[in-house]
Parts: sequence; structure tokens; C-alpha cells
Amino acid sequence: MTRIRTELFRQEAGKALKNRHLQEALSDFQERISKATATAFSSLPDAEGLRLEARRARMRAIENLDVLLERLADKILARGGRVFFARDAREAVEYCLETARRLGVKKVVKGKSMVAEEIGLNEALQEADIQVCETDVGEFIVQLAGEPPSHIIAPAVHKTKMEVGRLFSEKLGIPYTDDPVALTRAARDALRQRFLEADMGISGCNLACAETGHITTVSNEGNIRMASTLPRVHIAIMGMERIAARLADHDVLLRLLCMGAAGQRLAGYVSYLGGPRQPDQEDGPDEFHLVVLDNGRSRILADEDFREILCCIRCAACLNVCPVYGKIGGHAYGHVYCGPVGSVLAPLFVGVNRAKDLCLGETLCGACRDACPLHIDLPGMLLRLRSKLADGDDGWGVKRERPAEKLFFMLWAGLVRSPGLYALALSAAAFLQRLLPGAKDTITRLPYPFHEWTQSRDIKRLDGRAFRKRWKELR
Amino acid sequence: MNPSEAADRTRFMENVRRALGFPPGRREVPGGLFRDRPDREVLQAIHDAKTRSRDSRLELLELLRERAGPLKTGVTAVEDAGAAALAVARLVRETCPEWGVEKRVAVWRHPLTARLDLPRILADSDVPVFTADLCAPGLEGMPAEESREHIRKSVVESCIGVTAADYCVADTATLVMKTRPGQPRMLSLVPSVHIAVITLDQILADLRELYAFLRWETREREEEGLTNCMTMVTGPSKTADIELSMVHGAHGPRGLHIVVIIGPAASAAN
Amino acid sequence: MSGRKEAALFVPCIIDGMYPEVGEAMVGVLRRLGVHLCCPAGQTCCGQPAFKAGYRKEAVVAARHFIRTFEGTGTVVCPSGSCVAMVRQRYPELFRDDPGWMEKARAVGGRVFELTEYLVDVLGIEDVGARYRGKVTYHDSCDLLRGLGVREQPRKLIGRVRDVEFVEMKDSERCCGFGGGFSFRYGDISTAILEDKVRNILDSGADTVVGCDMGCLMNIQGILSRARHPVRTMHIAQLLAGSGDALPSPARRVPQPPCR
Repeated sequence: MTRIRTELFRQEAGKALKNRHLQEALSDFQERISKATATAFSSLPDAEGLRLEARRARMRAIENLDVLLERLADKILARGGRVFFARDAREAVEYCLETARRLGVKKVVKGKSMVAEEIGLNEALQEADIQVCETDVGEFIVQLAGEPPSHIIAPAVHKTKMEVGRLFSEKLGIPYTDDPVALTRAARDALRQRFLEADMGISGCNLACAETGHITTVSNEGNIRMASTLPRVHIAIMGMERIAARLADHDVLLRLLCMGAAGQRLAGYVSYLGGPRQPDQEDGPDEFHLVVLDNGRSRILADEDFREILCCIRCAACLNVCPVYGKIGGHAYGHVYCGPVGSVLAPLFVGVNRAKDLCLGETLCGACRDACPLHIDLPGMLLRLRSKLADGDDGWGVKRERPAEKLFFMLWAGLVRSPGLYALALSAAAFLQRLLPGAKDTITRLPYPFHEWTQSRDIKRLDGRAFRKRWKELR
Repeated sequence: MNPSEAADRTRFMENVRRALGFPPGRREVPGGLFRDRPDREVLQAIHDAKTRSRDSRLELLELLRERAGPLKTGVTAVEDAGAAALAVARLVRETCPEWGVEKRVAVWRHPLTARLDLPRILADSDVPVFTADLCAPGLEGMPAEESREHIRKSVVESCIGVTAADYCVADTATLVMKTRPGQPRMLSLVPSVHIAVITLDQILADLRELYAFLRWETREREEEGLTNCMTMVTGPSKTADIELSMVHGAHGPRGLHIVVIIGPAASAAN
Repeated sequence: MSGRKEAALFVPCIIDGMYPEVGEAMVGVLRRLGVHLCCPAGQTCCGQPAFKAGYRKEAVVAARHFIRTFEGTGTVVCPSGSCVAMVRQRYPELFRDDPGWMEKARAVGGRVFELTEYLVDVLGIEDVGARYRGKVTYHDSCDLLRGLGVREQPRKLIGRVRDVEFVEMKDSERCCGFGGGFSFRYGDISTAILEDKVRNILDSGADTVVGCDMGCLMNIQGILSRARHPVRTMHIAQLLAGSGDALPSPARRVPQPPCR
């Protein structure tokens, strides 16, 4: 399993905030991409209508997942492909290892796949002495550097071109350059060899089509095409929810995916893959395997409050507008899925308590819901996760997180329903605040647990004459 | 599917059904989930696209050019197959091999590309043309695996891949190519430069039209479907992973050209 | 229905306890427009702080009290987008398992308006007769903008204030980093987001930043105060109550310190 470090959110966020280059990269990235996306959306006639259509298509798919997956599998099998249904990461990994062993696989090329990261496939293959090469240029860079990716669409967004230059000159043996064109060329050359020599290609799946029995892969670089064409076996790993019923749904969904991800009308390469090389064809893999992964998704599916998150098409539009992600970057979330979508998925996958900072460390500004092509209500789901942390939840195995805070709000509830007591408490607080340091109108240091505010900000003192008192004179 | 895989599948599905509140083994397909019949709008759209006037088609060509420009896709309109061949020859002359020094061209076996007679046209420039086809003369008698090896090696050593296409979408400047015998996917992927030769009537307006055709156009429905591999190509390969600077030529072709035969006699009939 | 305009005041807890002058300013504006006001005495808090922190049972207590307090009132006006969003959008969710209370919640939600919504959409007024000499920029609060969809109303009102020079800041729609409890629990991230907002305010060249939500304004004011920036933070009610001085006076002519 890929390392999960959701507990380190605060530390990692703190580190990220001090990393000036990361801050600039994130800010620059968000600015550019969100402008490109906004422009792309505005060029769509009836963008809202399309988004509604897309949302309906995805919900319909989720609500009939069994039927769709059965049809997809049957069609792929009819073309000579293999389909494996993995209940969890371990089963999925074992299937891939078993297939690799059977075919004597020594070298693997991989297209970017969140789901492969989720199951820790790279580590498992490497432990079995199989060489795994990431082929998306950004992933290639972070793999060479030994780091996890920091963004779903742009994994190396946190690296400067100088850092990449040094990395390439060290690991690829080329003379140092920081010119992106030359560096990309170096990656192109290095990876071409790997594609040609690889025994197995591994990819994810963007959106399957049940009606026709295909998966789709989407990229701009062409690496996924290479990995699914040249090696003799191709394994595609698919989160079980990544499917639409009809081909017509793809029209809208693919366009929205490309728009949300990079402000494009359509990505450079979209491939519909439905099976291995057919007889009489010149190229294509001897074997095509689709691994359909559950790994906690059916549990989310069963909860109607969270089912909607399974509509996500991983376009990363939410990351591109999130003010929190824009400051702390992807690593701080400590999970494969980061940003707003990660703040809901990670707790549901690894445990709400374990990922509590991901649920609480958000402003709920709603920019994600607006940006989401399908208007998935991420803030609404975060609020529900917060209520599980507040009161515990048996269904999801959540322990009450902060008993002291609960007590505080219970007392607060007692006050808000008794105006007399409330007014008294207000007056008492207005009196006691004299103990807090600051000027006549402002407090410069608040006590625990409010102290983090005053580390950087003042706060106005309570007014001696609350509005409720003044109203008596105003009326 | 072997028995243990079948058991895995059943267990998995039951899990999903349980999560959705369905009875075990539910098999009925809810009405409206898939479509058995196209609706009238779709059929009308297909009809309109097929009966488009020449002027409208030329307008779509202009739209294609407009969209292709910023995507670094070249678009050349020519009168007939002969002119197309000359256009391809010009592009071949202008291309420098990226790996190695020798220039080679790999081409599909396809009625449209056949009309260009590239081997003859390029013989003068001393550029060998290789047809990536298991049935090509010279490969008969070879076991299939050996032929495929040979074809692969030849394509890898080609700096230009010439294909036809099934459709071209003007709004997004996208080429749509299915995979068939004699029409391997490698040719639009492995060589440095990809040239696609199409006819004017293959240009569709937008993705909605494309998907309508793919699913409901009569020939599509009756024949092959999407095939086991259908590729949609928009522009040359690119990446912006290094400091968000856009660079063309990541793993796929770094150059893409569409040659459109617009003469009235043109037709993609295959 | 008589021609008499009447409204009940819903006073957010932050304004009640910390910024009562904003409440007074709102009274001044509404009275100037001839609205007869009442202020239900038992109101305390809409429940938002508890709800956003996840304490739904406690939020329900506050919600029930709110609903009871405002039962029998007519139109309700509130100088806070987040409080109105709470009542209009979140109360139905709080009571989704309780049809009786859900009905009451919907009923009150249907007649609660944020101040600028009330002025522009309900009263149909954009010119409230205000004057303010200054260069003003405007911050879009998240719940007001994305929750309630209120974007143009405040801008129209600001645009009709005499002598005001209005400038849009960069990314006015971006969160200021308040997020309620977030600003206390994740202070460093909150501050980082806030610093961008302040930079945008300063870059706009404005000497005054106006908003409709006191939580956001408290957050912005807090950092401006710490850094001793001279930019003034003002609730739109105060801007609209202004009669020409740089320091708008409240409804009752009692000298009030500036909101700074």
C-alpha cells in the first residue's frame, strides 16, 4: 500500500507554507489553469445544461453500477480480453504480479494512474524485482527524484526547471540544461527506449463505456498510447465507478474532463480500448487485462450521503481553484487523492479520524463545488464528515474526536436557547476580556484554543454595549 | 474466464448490488439505461451531416484550420489524390529524421493512401516507403509473429507515418482512427511526424456529431463498432510538466499534418 | 397588504457582541428608506458556528430557538450572507428527518433576506441616499456569493453612493481564509490565504474595503490592524448609512469610534 500520512497534515502544511518556490508554483499554476478553464467553459454554449446532463449521466451510472460492469466485462471478454474483479488493493496487486510472473515480465512502463498509486502497485512490482518506469514526464521526474506526485494532473508542479536540470544531468547523464525543451527531449529519448524494451504496460482508465465495452485512456503526451500498444501485455486498472452507460455520455463527460483539467477542448490523445490485438491486426498487445477495483468504493456507494463523490471524473478542477490546496500543495494531504476531492475521499478510504485534518482543514468556501464540472457538493460532504467527528459514527467507525469541544458547544447550546443567560454570558465575557492583552479596542493575544488567530491578527474586543442593549434606545 | 475468476466476479457484483440495495443476482436492465434506438434528433443530425452542401463542408474546413492552428496541427487542402501525394512529398522533404539519418516513411494499407502511390512519388527523393501490412507482398510465407516483429522494427525506424482516418472533427481539430488489418495504431504514434490524408466529406462539425455517427450511423451499427482500439488524436504530442512551459513532442509525434482532398471526385470510399 | 414596509431585524451574533455599530448603521439605512423595524428580543444565534464545526445536535437547538423567535414575523433582514445561507439552505438539511420542523424552517427561510438582497431585490432600491468620500473596493464573501448567488446587488448599491470611487480588486471572489473555526484551528494556512487577499486589497489602491459579512471583515481587519495598514474595513451597512463624512455616523447621532 502506498504510504498514507494523513496524520502529518499540519506538519506538512507548515513546511509547504514556508517553501517559497512551491508557493510561487502553486499560485502561478492556479492562476493560469483557472483562467484557461473559465475561458473554455464560457466558450461552451449552455455550459450549465451540459454539466447537468453530465451529472445525470454519472449518477445514473453509479446507481446501476452492477449492470454496467457486467456488460463492460462481457464485451471485453468476447474480444479475448481478461477482466479481473478485485475487492481490495491486495487482490489487485496479486493479480498483476501473477500475470507478470506468468509472462516472465521484467520491465514495466506505466502511464499516470491514481488508482495504481492507491494500491501501491509500483512498490509491489519493484519488490518482485520488476523494473517499473513511470512515463508521464511529470511522473518520470518525481520518480527519478524519489518523491510522490503533488498534483493529479501536473505531478511535478513543485519542481523548478533548474531542479529538473540537475536531476536529469545526474540520473540521465546528460549535460546540465534548464531549458524545458531540451529537458523534455531528454525525457522523450530516454523513455522511447523504455517503451520499446518493456514487457508490460500498465495504465489507468479515465472513463469506461458499458454500451460498447471499452475503457478510455486520456493523455496529451502519448505515453499511455505507447504503454498500451508496444509491450506484449497491457493491464488497465480501473476504479469500479469510472464508467458511463452510453457512448453518447462520453461526448459530454470527456469534454468536461478535458476542460476542467487543463482548459482544453479535448486532450491530445483519447483511446478507446476494448481488448487485445485482434487476429489480422499488425500491432497491439497479445494480452489485455482490465482490473476493476473496489477497495472501499462499495462502502461509499452504500452511503447515500457520500455516493455522489463516486461521480468524480478526476479532472482536478477543484484543486485548481481551492485556496487551501493553493497554499499547502498535494503532499500535505498525505494521500494519493489530495485537494478538495481528496479531503472527502481520503477520510472515507483510510478512516475519518485518521484523516480528520483533511475534513477540518478547509474553509468551505465552495469554489470547488462551483468549479466541479458535475457540481459535486464537496462542502456538503465535508460538513457531514465533520459531524461524524463531532458525535462519532458507528457505520463508519468514527470516534468522537474532541470531547472538550463537544462540551463547549453543549454549553453554548444551553445559552443560545435562553436569551437571558446568553445576554448574561455576553456581559460576563465583555468584562473578563480585560484580562486579555491588547489595546482599548483590540486583543492581541487570545488564549488556547483560539491562539492561532492572534499569531498573525488582532481581534476586536467585545463591545460593552451589545446591539441588543442599544436596540432598547433605538426603537 | 476461469472458475475462480468467475467466483471473484460474482462476489464483487453481489457487494455492489448490496450497496445499492438491489436483490442478489439482479439482472434486469432498467429501461432507458442503454438505448436500443436513436432518437429522432440524432437521426436528423446524421442525415444533415451526410447531406451537407459543399459550401458548408468548405466552411467546416475553415473551422478546422482555425482550430488546428493554435494546436500546431498543419492543414493543407488539395484538389485530388495527385496533389495530395505532392503535398505529402513536400512534408517529407521538410522533415528531418529525429533518430538516425535515414528518412523512411511508413504507410497504412488503405484505399485512400493507395491512391497517392507514395512509393512512386517518393522514389525520386530516395525515401523508402514501407506499408505496415501483414498481407504485404514480401511478408507472405513469414509466420505472423515474425512479420509483426519486422513491421514493428520498420515503423520504429520510420520518421513519418502516413495514415487515413475515419473522421475528422472540425470543432476540436481531432482525427478519429479505428484499428483494422493494415491500419496499425503505431503509425500515428511512433514516428516523429504523423500525416493523415482525408477527404472533405469526412469532416464532421463537432463531437456531438461524431458520437452520433459512431453509435448510430447505419454503416457503423451494422459493421464493426469502434473496433478493439479507436484513437482520437488532437494535435501533436505535448507536455507542460516542466514549469508549465508547453513543449511539443513528448512521446508521440512532434508534428501532425492533415491533408484534405477537397476535389469533387474525392470520397473516402473504402 | 398595506403599503407600509416592515422588517424584522436578524442580528448576527458577531455584530451583536462585537460590532453593534454595524447593526445601528443598518437601522439607519432602513429607517431612512421608510422601513418600520422590529427586533425580536429573544434572538441569540442562528447556529452556524456549531453547524460548521460539525455539532448538528447543538445547531438544531439554536435553529429551533431561531425559528420560534421569528415565528409570526414578516420579512426578516440580516446583514450577513453566511447567516442567511445557514437559515435558508442549511436549516432544511438539519431538519431533514423532521417534517414538522422542516416545514417551519422552509417557511422562515423563504422570508429571510440578506441586507443587499433586501434593498435591491425586495425594495427595488439602489440609491439609498448615501455619500462617502473614498476609494472603495469590495470583497465577495463565499456564502453570500456562491451560497446565495448575491454578486451584483452590493455592487449596484456601492455604485450609487455619491463621491465614491469604486475599484474591483483582483480575485475579489477568492476566499479570505476565515472559514469560521478554520481561522482558529489552522491559523497558519488561514493567514497565508488572508495575506493574498490583503495584497489584492492594497494593490487595488483602495483606502476602504467593504463587505457584507462581518466574519470576513473581522479577519481582514485583524491583519490590517496588526500591520497598521491605514486601509479602513467597513460593512456595507456602514457605507450606506454614510452621510458624507469619512466616518459614517450611526442612526442615533451618538459619536461612535470608527470601525477600525
